[in-house]
Order: sequence, then C-alpha cells, then structure tokens
Amino acid sequence: MNPPTQPNHPSPAPPSPEGQLGVGIAVLFVLASACWGVLPYTGHMFAALVFLLALVLAGTRWNRGPVLTMAVIGALVWNFLFIPPQFTFHIEKPADGVMFALFFVVALGMGHLITRLRAREAALEQHHLERERLLAEKHRAELSAEAERLHRTLLDSVSHELKTPITIIRTALEGIGTGNPYAAEIDTASRRLQRIVENLLEITRVEADAVKPTPDWCEVSDVLEAAVAPFQRELAPFHTVIAGADALPLLKLDGRLVAQALSNILHNATLHAPHGSVIDIRARLNDRVLEIDIRDHGPGIPEDAVPHLFEKFYRAEGSPTGGTGLGLAISRGLMRAMQGDITAANHPHGGAIFTLTLPVRVHPD
Amino acid sequence: MGKALIIDDEPQMRRLLRMVLESRGYEVCEADEGLRGLQEAAFHRPDVVLLDLGLPGMGGIETLARLREWSDVPVLVLSVRDQETVKVQALETGADDYVTKPFGSAELLARLEVIQRRRGPRHTPEITAGALKLDLLRHEADLDGEPLRLTPTEFSILSILTEHAGRIVTQNQIVKHVWPVQQSDPAEGLRVHISHLRRKLGDRGVRVVNEPGIGYRLEIRQASAP
Repeated sequence: MNPPTQPNHPSPAPPSPEGQLGVGIAVLFVLASACWGVLPYTGHMFAALVFLLALVLAGTRWNRGPVLTMAVIGALVWNFLFIPPQFTFHIEKPADGVMFALFFVVALGMGHLITRLRAREAALEQHHLERERLLAEKHRAELSAEAERLHRTLLDSVSHELKTPITIIRTALEGIGTGNPYAAEIDTASRRLQRIVENLLEITRVEADAVKPTPDWCEVSDVLEAAVAPFQRELAPFHTVIAGADALPLLKLDGRLVAQALSNILHNATLHAPHGSVIDIRARLNDRVLEIDIRDHGPGIPEDAVPHLFEKFYRAEGSPTGGTGLGLAISRGLMRAMQGDITAANHPHGGAIFTLTLPVRVHPD
Repeated sequence: MGKALIIDDEPQMRRLLRMVLESRGYEVCEADEGLRGLQEAAFHRPDVVLLDLGLPGMGGIETLARLREWSDVPVLVLSVRDQETVKVQALETGADDYVTKPFGSAELLARLEVIQRRRGPRHTPEITAGALKLDLLRHEADLDGEPLRLTPTEFSILSILTEHAGRIVTQNQIVKHVWPVQQSDPAEGLRVHISHLRRKLGDRGVRVVNEPGIGYRLEIRQASAP
C-alpha cells in the first residue's frame, strides 16, 4: 500500500512518522496533566475518553504507525496514572480491567480503520485524477480529429469547386477540337490553370500534414509508369529513358505518392531542358533505400539557387514560365511525409540531377 | 447506341456530357441528385449510368448502393483526383469503372463502351480478350495460340482480369476471387503473383496495368501484330 498522500489537504501534520509520534506523545502528556487536574470532578473514565478523542483526531491525518503507538502509550498512561490503584500497572477491580482491555481494542481498531479509510480515499482521489486526465486527453483527440475533418471537408469542397469549371472548359474544348488556333491557346492556358490549382491544393495538403502514406507492395516499374503517364504530352518532345526498375524486387511503399513526387520533378525537367534532349529516370536499391535519379540535359541549376530550390514559391532567376514554384516543394513534402527525401545537384557532365531517396521494406521473394 | 442516365449536380457538366453522348448516338436523361437519379433509373431503364461521386445530399456512394439493390445497369463513376479511397469504395459498391475529372471525351466514351460490353449469363467455359484465350473448364490459357504455363493462382488472377478486360478490378476484388478464405496478408501475395504473371504474359499485346492505390486493369492492344 502506498503511503497515503493528500495533495489537496494543506495538512499541518509533521512530515515524518517520528515527528508525528513526538507531537502525539507530547499531546498525550498535556492531556494527561489536564485530566489529572480535573480527576476529582470527573472520575478516571473521563481521561480514557479524552485519549480516545485525541487518537481519532490523530488518525484522521497521521500515519498508521505513530497512531497505533500512541494508542499503546495512551492505554499505559491511563492505566498507570488514572486506574486505581494509581501509579501502578496493577488493576484492582475486574470492571476496570475490562475497561482497560476495551480501551485497547477500541483505540487499536480505530487507528486501523481510520488509516484504511484514508488510504481508500487517497486511492479514490488518484483514480479521479487519472479519469480526469483521460477525459481531457480524449477531448483533445476529439478536437484535433474534428479540426482535421473540417480541414479536409473544406479542402474537398474547394477542390471540387475549382476543378469542376476546369473540367467543363477542357471537355468543351475537346468538343470544338484544337484545330482552331484560339482554341489551342485556351487549351494550353487551361492545362496550366489545372496544374496551378492542383499544385495549390496539394501544397495545402502537404503543409497541413494531411498526406497519410499507405505503403503497399509495389513494382517500381508501375510507379515510374504512373509518374510518366500524366505527362505523355509534355514528355513527347524528349527522349525519356527509364532504367533499373525491372531488376528490382517488390518494395513496400506508397506508389501513388512516390509517383506524384516524381512527376513534379519530371514536369520541372520538361520546362528547363531543351526539346530533343534525353531525360533519364534510373531506379536502384541501395541497402533498403530506394533511390531514383531524374537527370535532364538542360542548363543545370544556378549555384545560388541550389539551397532554395525546394522552397515554396521559389523560382530561380531566368526560370521559364509555366511553373508554379510549388512543384519541387510538393515533391519534397511528399517524400518527407514518407520518411524519405529529395536532393538536387548539377551533374558533372551537365544538366540537373534530382535524387529521391526512400527507406523501404524489401520483399524476400 | 442505347440510353444513358447522367447523375450530376452541375448543370453545365450535364449539358456537356449530354452533348458528348448525343454526338455518339446515345439517348440521354439526367438527374441533379441521387434520389431523382434513382427514380429516373427506375423509370427510363437506362443501358448505362454516369454517376458523379461528389453529389450533395445523398452522396454518390449511397446512390450507387441503393441503385445496386435492384439494378445491375453498368455504372461509370466520375470522380476527381486524390479520391483513391472513395474510388475504391465506389468500385467495391458495384461501380464498373471510373474516370477522373478532368477527363477527355474520347476516354469517357471508350470506358462507357467497355463497361457495357459484358457480363450476362455465360454459356461457354471460354473467355477471350484480344489474343488471350482462357478455358475455365480445363484451366488452360493461351496467348497468340501459344499455351501459357500458369500456376493455379496466376490462372485465377488472369481469369478475373480477363472477365473484366479493359475494366479496373480493385485489389480487394482480385483477392476475394483468388483466395475466398482470407490469408494473412493476401495483398502481398497478390503482388508477387502478378509480377510473375506479367513476366509470363511478356509483351504480346496483353498487359496487366496497375493503377496505384486502386487495382489492376487488363489492357488489350487492339491491333495485334500480324
């Protein structure tokens, strides 16, 4: 049993059991003197009741040891000083002997009961505090879940509102066909608008930690294919070379997020590299880390831009139009959400090289 | 071409879809929300349904579930990107396929055609898709006239994909077909079998395409090399 602690009662009780016992004995002697003074008027039973009262009071705040000791001392003092014949431990009348025994039993029982009661009380208090803490925790969790749900609902509805008109424009354009040069311009602009909207929504999601990876066993070639697929049109003027994926075992990763991170890098490459050049996508496994290089043969990254490349809305000097300044920030956000990362550098033989790294589980098959 | 029912809350979207579908010879009816969509479906008995997942009120999934209580009309779901879980939910509630907004009309019409070409009672134990032929009775498959040596699991996977050739099949649907009694992590085993299956199919006009987060689609290249 724990020593009963009473955080809520500003108890003046001496801290140590020895201190309690000292005070208890002092109190007993004071009371004994007082009773001695009034003995002629009250008889010797009065002292016993006074002692019992003192024990009850002590029991409400002190430890069990000192209280029980006080009970014993009180009984002896009462016997010695008050029970006739006085100043001996001898008891003459059988009735006094019974009284003395009863005093003992009552005092010890009281001390015992009271301390047990207090222990029970303290445990209850502890239980109550614990409950309160759990309730508060639950409440906090509910609040944050609610905030997240609200955020997602908002994002979903904004997403729906922005994407619907774009879908309408794009479907309608298809009806006209892009033979008309004006329609071709609208087509280009609407693609760009779509990209901006998608990027804005995605960066919001990334920054709100709303990206929850769900890793599953994947073939890396599927991931690369999914990354390239949405950019068939943008990649058409380039030679895209995909290597290394077929030799890799199954890996546990969120293919959709990796593909999305990759496709932003690819899009970036199509904006910077000259048409007709080669874009290399190379995947390899390096001690349970999947590494994917995307190398273009463009002008490379200006040295002063390298540290800022993945910052939101950062656009390197002389960047061609068509980018949102968000793509690379999103890619990094997605990779980091999966405990991976992304780095950029200039290749010694020219062009920029981006490397995605992702710790993965490797299938034993 | 048949009757198509459009259930979408955006009037402009409905108008456009109507134009696209009518240009292809479909007879079109519309509804702007789920309940009315169900009524229209009961009244007009369409041959195909286009259902927007982002319906207000009774959402797309709920509409689909209630439609499936009494109808097995082919349903194409219109969704936006980043709704993978909703797409999977729709497919497992009984949608036949989905297109993601913004979609091209060519893609839309092709999907509509694929989901209508299907099902019904089968009277032969053989299914074919392009150059692929499966005999469900003898558990034999051949591609371009050449027999494929498949394990029973691979055959089972290929049979559900072939039966739904050109259509998406969710990972869960494949797993339930192949292992009716659940394994520990069947998705993991599935990936392994599919990677083996792909190697055996090679590059001969039939491909198992993965759609991350959703499932697989058996893609048939129409003009097989002579």
